[in-house]
Amino acid sequence: MQRRADAALAWGLVAPALVWTLLFFVLPLIAMAALSLTSQQGGVGIGNYLGFAENPVYRQALINSLEVTAIVTLLSVLLAYPFAWILAEMVPARWQRIVLLCAVLPFWTSYVVRSYSWLLVLAKNGVVNEALVAFRLVSAPLQLANTRMATIIGFVHFFVMLLTLTIFANLKQVSPSYRKAAADLGADPVRSFLFITLPLTLPGIMVGAFLTFVLAIGDYITPQILGGNNEILMPQLIMMQIGRRGDFPLASALSLVLMAVVTLAYVACARWLKIERA
Amino acid sequence: MGAAVRLAASAYAVIILGFIFLPVATLVLFSLQATSFPIPPFTGPSLRWYGAVLSDTRLTAALANSLLVASLSSLVAVVLGFLSAWGFARFVLPRAALMRGLITLPLTVSYLMIGMGLLILFNTIGMPKSLLAAGLGHVVINLPLCFAIIYSQLGDHQITLERAARDLGASEARVLALITVPVMAPAIFASFFLSMTFSWDEFVISFLLTRFETTLPVEIWNLLRSGLTPKTNAIGSLVFAVSVVLAFALELLLIRRKPA
Amino acid sequence: MAIQTWWRRPTIAAAAAILGGSLAAAPVAAASLNALIWCDHSDPALLEPFEKANDVKVNVKEFEGTGAGLAIVDQSKPGDWDVMVIDSIDVPRGVQKGLFEALPEDTLPFGDLFPQVTMDGSTKIDGKRYGITEKFGYNTIGFNKTKADPADMQSLQALLDPKYKGRIAVYDYYLPVIGMAALSLGKKTTALTEADLPALREVLLKMKQNAKLVGEVTASQTALATGEVDILVGGGEWVTAGLAKENPALDFSIPKEGAVLWSQSLAMFKDSKNKDLALKFIQYILSPEGQARLATSSCYWGMPSNTKAALTPDQKTILRFDQQPDFLARAQPYPAPNADLDKKMQDLWTEMMQSK
Repeated sequence: MQRRADAALAWGLVAPALVWTLLFFVLPLIAMAALSLTSQQGGVGIGNYLGFAENPVYRQALINSLEVTAIVTLLSVLLAYPFAWILAEMVPARWQRIVLLCAVLPFWTSYVVRSYSWLLVLAKNGVVNEALVAFRLVSAPLQLANTRMATIIGFVHFFVMLLTLTIFANLKQVSPSYRKAAADLGADPVRSFLFITLPLTLPGIMVGAFLTFVLAIGDYITPQILGGNNEILMPQLIMMQIGRRGDFPLASALSLVLMAVVTLAYVACARWLKIERA
Repeated sequence: MGAAVRLAASAYAVIILGFIFLPVATLVLFSLQATSFPIPPFTGPSLRWYGAVLSDTRLTAALANSLLVASLSSLVAVVLGFLSAWGFARFVLPRAALMRGLITLPLTVSYLMIGMGLLILFNTIGMPKSLLAAGLGHVVINLPLCFAIIYSQLGDHQITLERAARDLGASEARVLALITVPVMAPAIFASFFLSMTFSWDEFVISFLLTRFETTLPVEIWNLLRSGLTPKTNAIGSLVFAVSVVLAFALELLLIRRKPA
Repeated sequence: MAIQTWWRRPTIAAAAAILGGSLAAAPVAAASLNALIWCDHSDPALLEPFEKANDVKVNVKEFEGTGAGLAIVDQSKPGDWDVMVIDSIDVPRGVQKGLFEALPEDTLPFGDLFPQVTMDGSTKIDGKRYGITEKFGYNTIGFNKTKADPADMQSLQALLDPKYKGRIAVYDYYLPVIGMAALSLGKKTTALTEADLPALREVLLKMKQNAKLVGEVTASQTALATGEVDILVGGGEWVTAGLAKENPALDFSIPKEGAVLWSQSLAMFKDSKNKDLALKFIQYILSPEGQARLATSSCYWGMPSNTKAALTPDQKTILRFDQQPDFLARAQPYPAPNADLDKKMQDLWTEMMQSK
């Protein structure tokens, strides 16, 4: 009796979340997959996927997305790690949370507005160029806005913050006794870092890097606002099919291609992404 | 630590913080622009754009809509996430790992896919675009987050507490309400807060699934497409100011109140 | 109160406040008109007089480009929309899809319109009138007089000249810009076929090489206004007129090869549940006051189709009201490709955007 009541209760607790996920996540994806096998003009088949594979413009969009996302992930990790480390190791404990809060606060402006602000900051007569010219670092304003570099800067701006959070959280969990033990055994700080701290913080890096990859590759706003349509990335290509043509079958096919790429990334990072209980 | 290293570290930290604050500082500065273009030279300070924002009914309606969608969807996400996390932690269910994986799967899918999938589904069943549709989508993106956060915090030490309560004759409901929820309060609150943040600022799903009544990010996007004005700066700065106030309120109310 | 539950009351209070406040602030629904529009119709200065006079709320959804507008209609149910702003040349597309209602000609001021823009060829189908032109202008060359040589701007060939590399923005709408490319090759915009695509492709790719960005209405306006670029391909008075006061260096030219004429019409939906209100709205927009407000609307300016529009002398000068007959004589309408050619043109456009 107790077991049956337990089982009923257990299912009762878990069912709502499961049903919601199945209904509003799995079902739409199935609908999308089914739609991707049809064509806007009628007809069934893998035409959309073939069209993607055969069209160099579309393939280029995927390549662009992969290139930009890879650069963004790498750059963000490289910039965030020292910052997180400085925060965790060199800032007094009382101030750590405040500094972290300060680092996170700017991202509580609207995402759309923030991207647009970068456009103005990087404009020909924007703040950055004016400073560069004023300090005689360049002779004429640089072309910063409406380029791939602007898109990358916009992305890195956000993901440095995200990675700082994940790496910081990981660093705080690393027990100082490991480092003390290493020091006792004669390791200098550099070796201690390379062989103790860095490997122990790898989960934090990988979680952050994975999140960065997923969020960046699927993002529409930043490349649309900052890239000037000088090159097209996958999300822009997908939105173009929806917005300008109403071609949902093709948009679905392109989305599934993108999802396949993200799944590959997930498989590569799976070791570090398990959720465990305390 | 050598003084030179400390100096270099401080310089690095300051540069990174400067990088992080640069667009926001420019945003706020040019929201006070007196002329019509939010670009140098600075011709302010003037509050005319804040006035324009507050008298723009589409913007203020969108702000209210954003709050509504964020709070309701976060509430649903936290409740579903908490109940399922507790269910998995307390009881043994067949194929539990698989089901847990399913619930957290949406974390690996871009919002664009989730939004598109829902758009296609709703089109097929004839459900119109609305704030409700966007809200449903927001629960989808926040549920895995709430679940993951709460589940990871449901430790074994609570089992003892709950068992003690049950031994003393409390029903499951009372155990849940009087032991589990209060002890899990920080995790519950953190996931609610994080969900609110993600929902509040979310663009793609709201863009695809709403029609006339829409959320703030979509309305700002519409605003941007109708002309370049410091009005956009003003609304961005207002949102930022409200967030800063909220953050400090949280800091004072919640964290300082903990016993030392 | 136990230490760990002190947060309950303020949290519940805050939640209640947020919910209550947001529900209270939600607008009360009155009689409403749903309009699918280009951004120049969302100016409160245009909508509010109509809303007040008829005690209605005008709900607007903005789009750019007929394809996008029709895509929105496809995703909607019948009765979702009452009126639509659609390029005059695309009215037949809406009629073919069975979307539009015939307009009663005697209730609208057709006699007062500029004859060259009534576009009977596309707005009148089977003897019935489905659209009325409300505003027009040119997709031509917009430029900064102090930065680009006005003499160069009298020919479309200047846009392909390497000396303007990195100084051009291209307006992100494939139909008029492909039209301009056609004009530069001496072809007629209305007679384009698939055979013309390779030549058009060459022109577009060369143009893209000189371009700094491809942007929609706001991005292109911004780029020209802030000096990010000196020339806007596809720009015209719709870009420069509204900015004229703040930046008098902005100008436009109608080059010797000609310009592409854009012409917006208003159409009523057959499934609209508010046909009387929709007609009143169309009448308002075509009235002299409505026309003046539409012509000088905040998103972009343009010529009113009604010659009796109540513009001030200053506004008429900025819009070059009196030179219009000359301009119209040298302008050609948008290309109106069939579905197949349209898809190929869009693919060409995507290819251009992706090229360096």
